[in-house]
Amino acid sequence: MSNTASLRPGSVASEHTPLKARNVAFDWADTPLHWIPGDPDSTHTINVLHLLLPAGERWFVHVYKQVLPQIRDARLREDVLGFIGQEAMHSQAHDDVLPHLKRLGLDPTPYTAQVDWLFEKLLGDRTLPPGRARQWWLMERVAIIAAIEHYTAFLGDWVLNAGALDARGADPTMLDLLRWHGAEEVEHRSVAFDLFMHVDGGYRRRVRTWATAFAALVFLWQRGTRFFMANDPTLPDGRASFREFARGGRQGVLPTPGAMARSIPQYLSRAYHPSRYGSTAQAAAYLAQSPAATAAEAHPPHPARPTGAA
Amino acid sequence: MPSLPRIPTVLIAAGAALVVRRALRRRIGRAPLWPMPALENPVSGRGRSGPRQLLVVERAEEAEGVVRLRLEGAGLPGWEPGAHVDLVLPSGAVRQYSLCGDPADTGSYTIATRLIEDGRGGSREVHEQLHEGTAVEVRGPRNRFRLEECHAYLFIAGGIGITPILPMVRQAESEGVPWRLVYGGRTRASMPFLEEIEKLAGAASDRVTVVAEDEDGLPDLAAALADAPPHAAVYCCGPDPLMDAVAALLPQGARGLTLYTERFAPAAAVPGGEGAPSREGAEFEVELRRTGRTVTVPADRSVLRAIRDQALPDLPYSCEQGFCGTCQQRVLAGEVDHRDELLTDAERDDSLLICVSRARGERLVLDL
Repeated sequence: MSNTASLRPGSVASEHTPLKARNVAFDWADTPLHWIPGDPDSTHTINVLHLLLPAGERWFVHVYKQVLPQIRDARLREDVLGFIGQEAMHSQAHDDVLPHLKRLGLDPTPYTAQVDWLFEKLLGDRTLPPGRARQWWLMERVAIIAAIEHYTAFLGDWVLNAGALDARGADPTMLDLLRWHGAEEVEHRSVAFDLFMHVDGGYRRRVRTWATAFAALVFLWQRGTRFFMANDPTLPDGRASFREFARGGRQGVLPTPGAMARSIPQYLSRAYHPSRYGSTAQAAAYLAQSPAATAAEAHPPHPARPTGAA
Repeated sequence: MPSLPRIPTVLIAAGAALVVRRALRRRIGRAPLWPMPALENPVSGRGRSGPRQLLVVERAEEAEGVVRLRLEGAGLPGWEPGAHVDLVLPSGAVRQYSLCGDPADTGSYTIATRLIEDGRGGSREVHEQLHEGTAVEVRGPRNRFRLEECHAYLFIAGGIGITPILPMVRQAESEGVPWRLVYGGRTRASMPFLEEIEKLAGAASDRVTVVAEDEDGLPDLAAALADAPPHAAVYCCGPDPLMDAVAALLPQGARGLTLYTERFAPAAAVPGGEGAPSREGAEFEVELRRTGRTVTVPADRSVLRAIRDQALPDLPYSCEQGFCGTCQQRVLAGEVDHRDELLTDAERDDSLLICVSRARGERLVLDL
């Protein structure tokens, strides 16, 4: 436990948003393979999300279930419970895209089976004795999640503001998935970091796990883009390249390398708190008009059966 | 003070980097996804078949008081005879209907429903509000009435209970397995799919016995069971009295018969028809095997709330509405009334979402 409670960076926003999972559903039937028309490179760069998130966010839930008994703050516990449900829905929603890609001739299984291995085995519950070793591994994973959530919040904020995607005629269903997800990431962006500060908060651990998470993300992302480009049935000799990535950034259909570089010192700053970046109001505004999120509001699961009659 | 690296050192380092780069490229060229291992049984990408919007593209009067609807969508999940789907009606009510079309058709599902005048309103909604062009939300399909492999089948259907049986008959016919069907109803005009069934029976019309109550009374179930080949599988779907009668007569039938039924009424699955609500909000007990405690779940509390209040305050959960899956727990004993909308049939065999699902009997044992 850290003993620097009074020096801890706190949330800059005073308002507190109660978090709840939204029971969204997307119909992929009409989404084309290249859902950013004429730009397979950028499409596939963003598609890597569908490869990493199903297993990754399932793993978040798995880890957070274990850390739940260690939370001593009632409001943080509520936040974490809401966070868990949102992440579970993100995982399910992205997972549903994978069979659609398979139907379109681009089978993602060779890649996702490896991502499954990464999160289930390499980052899973290792054979450790109860006590310090097990606790160390749990804290390490909680810190890795906080670092990854810095990037999901960054991407969420980016996609909410990426007007170029609309201008280029990107598929509305895919945009809604990305923005619903992005908005929820912005909405709950402080939870993972607050939890890490609550249960551990060590700066050395923060830096170490950031380096691991960042290296892994770069490795997996370029690999995923190359995998998609090489196996896309409509691209006879598709190849991913950094030049295309930078071009996507210039055109506004991908985040720019510059913005990504600038987000690094943010997280490593001792004064960092996620609430300083991104806008909760913007996220809430999108969720209030997202087709999937509003449909989930309109049709809660058991409206006609108050206590669940068949 | 550190001195600048000398030229030979730089050259050696650059040379080593080049060699490593070439080796890596060749390795990756041979196997693009080197060096990560894959999980043996991948978890991601199997698809959850969540709710989907389908369009009513055909509506026909299949028999007196029975409409047949064809719901169209693209790339629908496959199903086997006996499967049903959940239909989310415009009012939000959820009803289950057996699929009675062709399993090979991945572009549409076909269901048939009978209007129940004094039912809970689901069938009325289907009859009055689902027209050609209406969009409707569908979940599933699920199957709790699978056609097991057997050397001979006896099918017994009552009224709208023909819906899960019909695809079974078609499959038995196409696989060349001997089958017989006893099909009862109030009047011939009210019995759906009669024409197709009589066509399936073909020349050997003794395979199908159609019994309309206003002409011939009730079907002779005892005779049908006695005439069945030994060790045949008996599949029965219809009103409760019919299924109770079959179950009661089974021991007097041929040797080694196995009975499979699907009820209209109490359970979560209500294929083809409507019935009384299930054991609504009854109190029951949940034993937590690992914790060694038993908690009582009151009629108006969920299993999750009861366990959190009485035994394990840190139990994980989130949506409390049966869709996020956080509160999934293993079941060791007891029958579950599944009320979630997430778990697959395989998952339902040994687990439940404790935020919405309840016990069908008086006791559940959980691995907690």
